[in-house]
Amino acid sequence: MRHYVIAGVLVIVLAVATYAGLMAIHLMPVEASAQSIPIDHLWNIEIAIISFLFALIMVPLIYSLIVFRRRKGDTSDGEHIEGNNTLEITWTVIPLIVVLILAYIGTYTLGDVLAVDPNALEINVTARQWAWSFTYPEGFTAKELHLLVNQPVVLDMQSVDVIHSFWVPQFRIKQDVLPGRITTERITPILIGNYTVTCAQLCGTGHTYMTAPVIVSTQADYDTWIQAQVAAATVAAQTPIGRGQQLVAQNGCASCHSIDGSSTGIAPTWKGLYQSQVKLSGGTNVAPGTVVIANEAYLIESIVNPSAKIVNGFQDNVMPKSFGTTLTQSQISDIVAYIETLK
Amino acid sequence: MKKFFTSALMRGLFWQLIGWIVGALFVTGVRVLMGLNPFVTGQYFFTEPAWVFGGLVGAISYVASTGAMTDWFKWAKGEEVPEHREDPPGWEKYLNVSLDHKVIGVQYTVTALFLLCVGGLFALIFRTELAHSGLQFLTLQEYNTFMSLHGIVMIVGILLGVAGLMNYLVPMLIGAQDMAFPRLNAFSYWVAPPAAVLLLSTLLFGGFDTGWTGYPPLSERAPLGMQMFFLGVAVAGWASILGGLNLLASVLRMRAKGMTPFRMPIFVWAAIATSLISTTATQLIGLSFQMVMFQRLFGMGFFDSEKGGNPILFQHLFWFYSHPAVYVFVLPGLGIISELMPVFARKPLFGYRFVAMSSLGIALVGFLVWAHHMFVSGMNPYLRIPFMFSTLLVAVPTGVKFFSWVSTLWKGKIEAPTPMLFVIGGVVVFLLGGLSGPPNATVATDLHLQNTYWIVGHFHDTMFGGYIFPFFAAIYYWFPKVTGRRMNEALGKIHFWLMMPSFLTLTLLMMRVGLLGMRRRVADYDPALGFDNYHLIMTIAAYLIAISILIFLYNLIVSVTHGEVATGNVWNSRSPEWQVPSPMPVHNYDQPFEVIGEPYDYGLPGSVYIKFEDKKSKGH
Amino acid sequence: MEHTNKSDVLRQGVIVFIFLAVLTALEFFVAVEIGSTVLLAMIAFVKVGLVFYYYMHIYRLNVQDEDLDRHSYQYKLGTSRIGLWLFLLSDAFIFGGLFVSRFNLLGLGPLPLSSDSQFTALTITSVLLLSSFFMNRAEVSMEHGDRKGFIFGISLTILLGLVFLAGVITVEWPSAINAGVTPSSNAAGAVFFIMTGMHAFHVLTGVIFLSIVLRNGLRGLYSPEKHWAVESATTYWHFVDVVWLFFYPALYLIGKLI
Ligand code: HEA
Ligand code: HEA
Ligand code: HEC
Ligand code: CUA
Ligand SMILES: [Cu+2]
Repeated sequence: MRHYVIAGVLVIVLAVATYAGLMAIHLMPVEASAQSIPIDHLWNIEIAIISFLFALIMVPLIYSLIVFRRRKGDTSDGEHIEGNNTLEITWTVIPLIVVLILAYIGTYTLGDVLAVDPNALEINVTARQWAWSFTYPEGFTAKELHLLVNQPVVLDMQSVDVIHSFWVPQFRIKQDVLPGRITTERITPILIGNYTVTCAQLCGTGHTYMTAPVIVSTQADYDTWIQAQVAAATVAAQTPIGRGQQLVAQNGCASCHSIDGSSTGIAPTWKGLYQSQVKLSGGTNVAPGTVVIANEAYLIESIVNPSAKIVNGFQDNVMPKSFGTTLTQSQISDIVAYIETLK
Repeated sequence: MKKFFTSALMRGLFWQLIGWIVGALFVTGVRVLMGLNPFVTGQYFFTEPAWVFGGLVGAISYVASTGAMTDWFKWAKGEEVPEHREDPPGWEKYLNVSLDHKVIGVQYTVTALFLLCVGGLFALIFRTELAHSGLQFLTLQEYNTFMSLHGIVMIVGILLGVAGLMNYLVPMLIGAQDMAFPRLNAFSYWVAPPAAVLLLSTLLFGGFDTGWTGYPPLSERAPLGMQMFFLGVAVAGWASILGGLNLLASVLRMRAKGMTPFRMPIFVWAAIATSLISTTATQLIGLSFQMVMFQRLFGMGFFDSEKGGNPILFQHLFWFYSHPAVYVFVLPGLGIISELMPVFARKPLFGYRFVAMSSLGIALVGFLVWAHHMFVSGMNPYLRIPFMFSTLLVAVPTGVKFFSWVSTLWKGKIEAPTPMLFVIGGVVVFLLGGLSGPPNATVATDLHLQNTYWIVGHFHDTMFGGYIFPFFAAIYYWFPKVTGRRMNEALGKIHFWLMMPSFLTLTLLMMRVGLLGMRRRVADYDPALGFDNYHLIMTIAAYLIAISILIFLYNLIVSVTHGEVATGNVWNSRSPEWQVPSPMPVHNYDQPFEVIGEPYDYGLPGSVYIKFEDKKSKGH
Repeated sequence: MEHTNKSDVLRQGVIVFIFLAVLTALEFFVAVEIGSTVLLAMIAFVKVGLVFYYYMHIYRLNVQDEDLDRHSYQYKLGTSRIGLWLFLLSDAFIFGGLFVSRFNLLGLGPLPLSSDSQFTALTITSVLLLSSFFMNRAEVSMEHGDRKGFIFGISLTILLGLVFLAGVITVEWPSAINAGVTPSSNAAGAVFFIMTGMHAFHVLTGVIFLSIVLRNGLRGLYSPEKHWAVESATTYWHFVDVVWLFFYPALYLIGKLI
């Protein structure tokens, strides 16, 4: 009997200590969305259950190892106890009930998290290897996600290539972004600040760096930013170079190609590309080692049919092959015009 | 040395290479006849179909050249083959085709240890890269390749380790002379080495950067190495499928007299549950990988949304195997824990029937939970609820095991030599891993946890605690049975006391950074997150684990020839295999035995488990 | 072995064959007139039940032979049967996966095949059905020591198997391709080719297996008491047939025809 009492007390002590300790070190990042609150609530319940179960197993385990260890010179066996059906049924049924309750709480937490708000602002998110772009209701596209505090938003997300996943740790929610189908994520930011959206699904070489800034701001700051973007977009749309620059942003070229001569390790830089000599490692119909001049025709071919000529030191099948169909002739010439300015 | 180079193992490697080239040349020839481009400019010379077909021919050549199929060819030709084939004495039998389940068990185990070391080495490489933010010495592509290969090599390593334990132990435990189909058993083992070669060959073909899950559409675009990965896993799968089939048939048909279902040693129950999964579900990982292979080779649009395919279908097919597979890793490990604990606590296994049934329960419920890996995948949102319920249900039978283990220890007379240390370590680590499961299972919290280091921590704890620790326990425990010598106790204890704390540090920190926002499968992280120190400690912990494993390997190798001689019942166990002298005789038991008592009646004076029959009624 | 009268077994085989043929006709009728997937599934299950019981002798798994000597041929036969059925179970998971893929990708809609395909499919289905009948004849003959009947039955089965393969590869595939269903055209094409392809591959292995058995049979290696090779080849052949019992409606009959 004494053993049971001591172990029982120790279980309670250890459970409380574990729970308190885990709470004290702040396991989760700050709560920056309305959705994070029910999620963290559920999480705390789970931590309580885990702490208790941890103690419930660990204490008798360690207690037995110490108290019931074999003493020197003792060669006898332990007590012959084969089992106890009542106990077995107890520890089948009680966890069963716990687990069912947990699943029930889980279900309605999920309901809270997914709740639809008809006033939500709609933002289109495009994911591609390896960049995010956001199209706002005002019609422009940017590489940053600006949100208004306490304003629910619904993100309509689609990928142009492989599967990505939208995740802001402080918002808690994660959602995969698929090619050929739209997935949605609903969030209501509640804390002003700067965050980062990361891609949480392995999507190839550049996955590590597939991030974009998320800025949650007040009404005034938000409006200022939106107006500035709208204005800049209108100006840029007037010249081919400006349009080219916009297209480059919208199509995520810059996630692979740098424009300042720095190396991304994924694709050649565009700085000084125009009219330079490019050494090829092969391609659909060229011999390895050929050197070509990067004239306009070459740039167009490289966009429409990237496999035709592979730049030495880079891989085939990395650059998407779809730009020839998704971009129009005039859009391509706008992009080329823009690339030509990057001396 | 000459015997080494002419062994089946090396012969197979040679013929695999030849077969590979011949297969590739064949396809290239066909392409020439069809007027297609025979070669590709650039890195790999042959075209992708040529390499893939070559890989398949190579794998078959390996198995055929070892002689594992020779008897079948003879049967097909209508020739007589002898029922038994004795192995020549000496160590060469381990490198050649043997029909003895004990030899095959050792072959599996050694191959598994080799792969676990290779996979661990990959982990060390990329852990070193992660020690500090920024890219140190790996490119992004190299990081992904090492990370993905680490995952799959470890998993295949475990699968072979599982097969090793089951092969070595089950026939002995049930009192059989061998498995039901010894030739099939040998065949199952011999498909594993070429599969390992295929997997490692990915390094030569540009690697693959999809993780071990190989999700399309990413895997459609990955380098040629991807195909070798698919092929390697599909080939290795056959070892699992046929091994499981063989085991089920053996347990159903070869048990000793009187060994009723609830008088079998408990590990046998674990082996049954495991084999049920591996014979059936394994087909689906093969199928899903085959479908991506075909998509790459023939443009078949199963998972291509532009052709009306569905990338999520792949995930369903893949996880339909790969979730139950985690129970393939863990059930035998838990079986080992249940098997050894009574021996060292000197007390009967508490609630034998419940522990036995919980294995089956875990295996069966495990078939119904696969979509918990897909909570954020974009599948039908309502489907998530039933999968949450089913996943949480698995906690119940797992809990039964834990509670029964603890009750087995309670009021025992516990001894803690090295095998017992690993058993206890396994229980503790697996408890942490198991308890980190329910938060993943409740959908709402998984939205945060998915694809973070929290998950990485969860599954290292479950796999290490549920398999690697018990695997070490089993090796320390049955080593005398295999060799007639013991492994060194002191080194074993050092191994444990170095590995256990390092491992806990590694995984607890993984969980910590994961919750705070550390994604999986990244080569670099933002220094602003403040994870640098955590990662540095994790890397150091990984090296400490590696050192402990080197100590183990040293101990293992030296003990084979220099260990303390131990031919008797070293652990004072009631289990049948310890009632005969070590090393185990070729045909296991010279006289058949009959089961007349309960397997774990420690502490009941005068009770016996088995009784050998008289010499005269000797079988075969 | 069962000690039933040979002519009884023959009669039984014929009756089962007639049942299967009628059910196949019924299936076609259901597809044309009612278009109910549930009914199709029910018919397929009834057919499978018949094949399992009468052609594949699933009940033989349940023989009580605990008392037999473990080293006797009889006891090992029981073990081998269990092994074979486990293998079939495992194999069934591949086909199950393909089946699931078909419904996941294409829903309950029909495949966009041409109407020629309907005729070809019905023909090759009948060929397979007939082959099962003759395979059963061959096995029964072997059990009763009728070597001629065995050779005749198995030869005819192999022949019909080859006809089936030829039908799929030289008639059905080209006609699908003409209708625009190619492996790379779309998901429907991919599903069609992988399902028929995987099944054809199994038929091919079955034909090879049967040919080996035929050769050894001609050399007199089997006897009424010892012919596990014949039995296993038979069971495997019927299993491949069973797969087609599901594949045929799944590929051709679902979605109201005409
Ligand atoms: C051996 C391997 C193993 C084992 C045993 C488990 C066991 C469990 N796993 Fe784990 N899991 C993996 C290996 C394993 N897992 C791997 C490899 C992955 C990642 C794959 C990848 O993406 O690469 C993964 C991922 C994974 C996910 C997906 C996460 C994600 O990607 O979003 C989920 C979600 O539900 C999950 C849940 C569980 C649960 C509920 C259990 C349960 O079985 C645990 C049950 C045990 C206990 C709960 C503890 C003891 C029980 C008691 C003391 C009784 C009382 C308990 C309660 C009342 C709760 N696991
Ligand atoms: C059983 C399976 C198993 C085991 C034992 C391990 C063991 C280890 N794992 Fe592994 N791990 C996985 C299975 C496993 N892992 C899986 C499935 C993934 C997911 C992959 C994916 O995302 O696709 C993963 C992912 C994974 C990650 C996440 C990578 C990422 O997401 O970017 C990390 C990071 O730290 C990691 C670390 C480690 C470490 C440090 C060990 C250490 O414990 C290893 C210790 C062992 C050794 C160090 C070997 C020692 C031996 C020697 C040194 C001798 C040398 C031998 C020869 C020369 C032959 N693992
Ligand atoms: C996923 C990565 C990726 C994206 C996105 C991408 N590219 Fe590329 N690009 C590459 C790679 C890799 C190469 C070099 C290999 C080759 O020549 O195909 C390349 C080559 C080029 C070249 C030839 C460069 C040279 O140095 O000769 C041009 C021009 C180009 N890309 C334009 C674009 C444009 C325009 C876009 C966007 C509309 C774009 N790329 C988007 C990866 C990318
Ligand atoms: Cu996009 Cu990872
Ligand atoms: Cu799982």
